[in-house]
Amino acid sequence: MDNKHTVELIHGLTALILGLFLLGVSSGLGITKSIVDIWAAALLVPEYPAVVLRDLYLDWQSYSNDRDFLNAEVKRLRDENSELRRELSKLTNAKILESTNKKNVRAARVNLRAPLAWWDEIRIDRGSNDGIILGLPVFSNGYLVGRVSNVSLLSSWVELITSSSFMIPAVIEETRELGIIAGGGDGSVLLKYIPAGRGLMNGMTVSTALVGEQLAPGLPIGIISGEVENSADGYVTYRISPGAKLTRVYSVDF
Amino acid sequence: MFFVFLWLVQDLITVFAGGSARVPQLFILGLVYGIITDERDEIKLSAIWASFAGGILWDLRWVGVPGFFTIGYVLVTLIVIHIWNLIPPQGRSSGTGWIVFVMLELSQIIPPLFPVLILGGATGLHFFVGQQFYSLPVIIFCMYLRAVKMKNENNP
Repeated sequence: MDNKHTVELIHGLTALILGLFLLGVSSGLGITKSIVDIWAAALLVPEYPAVVLRDLYLDWQSYSNDRDFLNAEVKRLRDENSELRRELSKLTNAKILESTNKKNVRAARVNLRAPLAWWDEIRIDRGSNDGIILGLPVFSNGYLVGRVSNVSLLSSWVELITSSSFMIPAVIEETRELGIIAGGGDGSVLLKYIPAGRGLMNGMTVSTALVGEQLAPGLPIGIISGEVENSADGYVTYRISPGAKLTRVYSVDF
Repeated sequence: MFFVFLWLVQDLITVFAGGSARVPQLFILGLVYGIITDERDEIKLSAIWASFAGGILWDLRWVGVPGFFTIGYVLVTLIVIHIWNLIPPQGRSSGTGWIVFVMLELSQIIPPLFPVLILGGATGLHFFVGQQFYSLPVIIFCMYLRAVKMKNENNP
């Protein structure tokens, strides 16, 4: 080992011993704390950009986490809301059905269904003498089949929901979207003017809306069975599967 | 001046990382790199005292007790100088890749290992392992720089 290396070794060992000495004595010196504070204060200025960057990063991270959490929470609440609406709709329909059955003191028999107006109207064997009034809703199996369009003393005509002239406001129970129920004239029932982009609606229940003239809100009509048309002006027309079996209407309730 | 800059960069990264010890030891890595790439004699003595000063300043800033990193920095410098002195000057330019890697790696293992060994604890070990992970790309970058430097020197 030459002289040069010996000098390096002496310097290195001296620095090492000094370090060990500092480690041994500094914990007992009160002055160390003051030096640490002074040094930290002196570094405040050069460290400032890093502090700002760190705070920005932490803010962004916090914002990102909050946003993810809120999105997840909104989705969960939407699902929960949808589920609750479905349950409420079932309960409402069951209640209406029960109420209709309880009030089913007045039933009428269909005594005429003209082939030329098969999907438009039927005649029942009850009239104003039995308390039938114009616009009275008529049911089959608890579901709306139409409304009274003409009343005489002993019989009445019922305009069916499949009639092309039949139009009433309706609501989708699960989403509370409002639309118009219109007959197709060929046995079909359509739900019109629902805003587009609402996702899959199949299976959702439709009932009369509060904005009806003589029809009470919440009278069950049927379920959505498919999309018919998506118009350019942003509205969708859905096909409705009526709850009442309109091909086998022998008697109705009111 | 360059080592002051490296110390400051290491400090700024540590501040940005929220005081975590997983930041690579850029200061001592720069010193080791300087020892093995600069053949001037005075650089080694300067490196010893620079490592001592840098260690004390680091301890005062992040540990609170002078000595922890100071001992580690000085020890690394001493070992690297000794190993480098064992290799003849004419043989340092070729076939020393692994030795250089070991010496650079020592600069990342020894200083943070002291607090872990002295204080102990799973958290310290966790930080130590994390730091080794983040140090590796910097070491590889240093080896790349040395290779480029040697290539330029051999083919002027």
